Amino acid sequence: MTIQLIRDISDSSSYWGASWVFGCFPDLHIVCDAPIGCYNLLGMAVTDYTDALPHMANLTPTSIREQDVINGTAQALVRTIDDLRSIGSLAGKRLLVISTAESEMISADHGSLVAQLDPEARFFWSQSLEQDEWTGRDRALLFAWEAYGQPFVTPGAPPRAANLVNIIGPSLGCFNAPADLHELRRLITGIGGEVNLVYPYEGSVASTPRLADAAVNVVMYREFGAPLAEALGRPYCFAPFGVFGTTAFLQELGRLIGADPARVAAFIAHEKRTTLQPVWDLWRGPQSDWFATVDCAIVAGRSYVVGLSQFLGEELGMKIAWSSGRPRRDDEPDNIEIRRRIHTKAPAFVFGSINEKIYLAEANARATHYIPATFPGPVVRRTTGTPFMGYAGAANVMQELVNRFYEMVFNFLPVEPIKAPGSPPQHVAAGPPAQSSAETMAWTQAATERLNAALEQVPFLARISASRALRLAAEQAARARGAREVTVELVEAAIAHDSS
Amino acid sequence: MAEIIPLTPGGASDPSEPFKESACKLHPQTMCPAFGALRVLARLEGAQPAMITDTGCLYGLTFVTHFYAARKSIVAPALGTAELSSGKVQEAATAAIAEAASEPNVSVIPVISLCVAETAGLAEELLPSSIDGKPVVLVRVPAYAIHSHPEAKDIALAAVLRRFVDRERAHEPGALVLVGEVFPADPLIIDGVLRKMGGRVLTTLPGRHVDELRLAGCGAAVAALHPFYRETVGVLRERGVGVVAGAPIGADGSAAWLRAVGTALELDEAVVEQVAAEEEAAARGFLASQPLKGATIMVSGYEGNEMLYARLLVEGGAHVPYVSTSIGQSMLTAADEAWLKAHGTEAVVYRKAIEDDKAAMARWRFDLVIGTTTLAAYAKELGIPSVYYTNILSVRPLFLAGGMIASLSFVRELMNRRPLYERMVAFFADADPGGTP
Repeated sequence: MTIQLIRDISDSSSYWGASWVFGCFPDLHIVCDAPIGCYNLLGMAVTDYTDALPHMANLTPTSIREQDVINGTAQALVRTIDDLRSIGSLAGKRLLVISTAESEMISADHGSLVAQLDPEARFFWSQSLEQDEWTGRDRALLFAWEAYGQPFVTPGAPPRAANLVNIIGPSLGCFNAPADLHELRRLITGIGGEVNLVYPYEGSVASTPRLADAAVNVVMYREFGAPLAEALGRPYCFAPFGVFGTTAFLQELGRLIGADPARVAAFIAHEKRTTLQPVWDLWRGPQSDWFATVDCAIVAGRSYVVGLSQFLGEELGMKIAWSSGRPRRDDEPDNIEIRRRIHTKAPAFVFGSINEKIYLAEANARATHYIPATFPGPVVRRTTGTPFMGYAGAANVMQELVNRFYEMVFNFLPVEPIKAPGSPPQHVAAGPPAQSSAETMAWTQAATERLNAALEQVPFLARISASRALRLAAEQAARARGAREVTVELVEAAIAHDSS
Repeated sequence: MAEIIPLTPGGASDPSEPFKESACKLHPQTMCPAFGALRVLARLEGAQPAMITDTGCLYGLTFVTHFYAARKSIVAPALGTAELSSGKVQEAATAAIAEAASEPNVSVIPVISLCVAETAGLAEELLPSSIDGKPVVLVRVPAYAIHSHPEAKDIALAAVLRRFVDRERAHEPGALVLVGEVFPADPLIIDGVLRKMGGRVLTTLPGRHVDELRLAGCGAAVAALHPFYRETVGVLRERGVGVVAGAPIGADGSAAWLRAVGTALELDEAVVEQVAAEEEAAARGFLASQPLKGATIMVSGYEGNEMLYARLLVEGGAHVPYVSTSIGQSMLTAADEAWLKAHGTEAVVYRKAIEDDKAAMARWRFDLVIGTTTLAAYAKELGIPSVYYTNILSVRPLFLAGGMIASLSFVRELMNRRPLYERMVAFFADADPGGTP
């Protein structure tokens, strides 16, 4: 067996994924059979940076200690449940006990103990040593349906109404979920659908049987959620991206819910004049020309990778240098390879997580714009104004890219800093070196070739400025040494200095 | 100073029963202990950490390390049931160490062994002690055995110190080693005062360079500014470095600390006395205004230095009936605890849970809560001005007269913000309870 190596892990374990699903239910209390760290990282630290929640209120650890590792965690579990009862935390709530990597390591399977303690309670064996967060989320959704939903639904009952639609997927730890959900809801209701249940985000143990009321399910993410939609046995489709992708989605959803095609067409026409008007205006303007000249890389959940590749690549004609989705396919770069590629040649735009941001910082890739598109990484995305999905997402992403273009142009323009009298001399990163000469200097052919090769590595928009800066630096060095022409060594020195 | 708004009279609540810690300690308040180790180790220049653990742990710890330790890539082996059950932990650790060593500019490889690796039994004697000439340092920080993140900082710092401390060089007379993550200006201010006494600050740990670890062994004394660095000061004590507990905090504390440092460094007694008296006079001059008089303040943190902070508040005139921390009691906490108990603090809780802090919230009426994130959120829900302990402590000087003035002035301003907190509560109180419309 060969050992796989991981750099800056991107996907968490099934304990995390499952807890991020179950944690959405206000009428459920989760006891994680975990050392204090597994509780704190999930319930108090990371969820604050992914979802801006001060902490997960319905999560309690058994706080596994050294003696529990030796003797088993049953005593700690019983004590935890007793204490929760005594302070009233379980009143009106169902109890769920979930295993973690450490409790699985010592084979603490509490299925029967939990049933003895509370017949209504459930035990979820998370399989955290083998399964990732996407599998964990999927299994938790199915578990919730099978434990809290399906048994209370009449088999074979028809949907309550033909236009009822569930949105499946949005849960804790899902990047940008509030904005994407808002857009999805707007699209569904725009063509006459009615949103039945947003699950698990706005669901609960009690509302789980209502999943069966809907005629159609929209699965928000390709990385998880489809197995629940399959189990519900109704038609489903995935949330859309881009102008054309969203239009196709609306037409398909319209057919599935039996909407009047004229109404669907009218909604799309109205959207073109409103939500999508900036896409049309930016497309007609000079901004869209830039899209043909730059490349980007996308590291994100499978939905974002598929959706952004389609919108940016196929609809706007931007070059997608490479991408890596989650869960990662074997033919996609892992973080070791992503890091290598970013260090070798960073695309103009990198959609990604804090990992890619770190790799760009390591490479001093100042001409690349990083755009958060996934976790891990602390970023607040709680407003409805930053969608990636749907028509609003297309407009928002396009607007964001154009603003980054503007930013790049600004940052590469020369600046002459204004010094306060008596202040120490300043060094300015951008702009040409202070000293230059009016006379053109000769370059050896090798030096010119080296300059061109270096510029090939710089994203297109930054090339003019980068070429000016490198040229001036090399020429200045030549003058300082009293040389009559710029040699390849001087160019190398200028490049090394610039990237340090 | 801003306009004084009426504060709760300090003696408004005076129950006769002594405060009891909560019987239920359901939610211990500490970051994952291992994070403390990562924070110390990831910040060392040239260190490439290798973490030996499961993917969930790896995700959480990498997340927080990237956020507030260092922008540093972290290497780990994939450890699942297959590897753990077939005894591959050792092989996995060795593979990660080799990958870490292949990085350019790496000078040390800290191997951080976490819960599942420790349960599986990672053997130190089977790991290389160095690879390609780069030292490999094993740091064992299973969360189930260490109980707070500050204590894991101590374990990590002691591990690298043990490895790198220079045992050959002579002690440098008058040189003091500071131990504690303090505001960057604080060591400079302390150094300035020590120089007036004929001493100096040699270095401050935990730092950014292995050189600082090497140098630490040359100190004539070490001051544990934060009270959880028990192993770290132990390493230096073995080397014959004298230990000074406590920190130069407030009027009483600064003078006492300067005298203790003077003794430990064998400085001229008369000069030390003069400098200590000057510092005390400067502090007392400011305290004469008793800026916090009448205020009842809660202090709940993680690292034991909340006792230092509480001392400042008490000297500033505040009533601080309750102080809680995540670390355990030790000789390094004894002096501060005794001082607080002698100055009106009724309860000092170690290894606290949120349940303890909430019991204190029910027992006393606070004008200001300086607390852990969970407690600060709870206090804000009640409309009480509150701040996350680390946010306010880490951004301004704390020590000696200057630090005290900066800290107390800020606290006084915080209390004036009460109307903002009350207005928010009033506005959000009738929010829709949620659920599907």
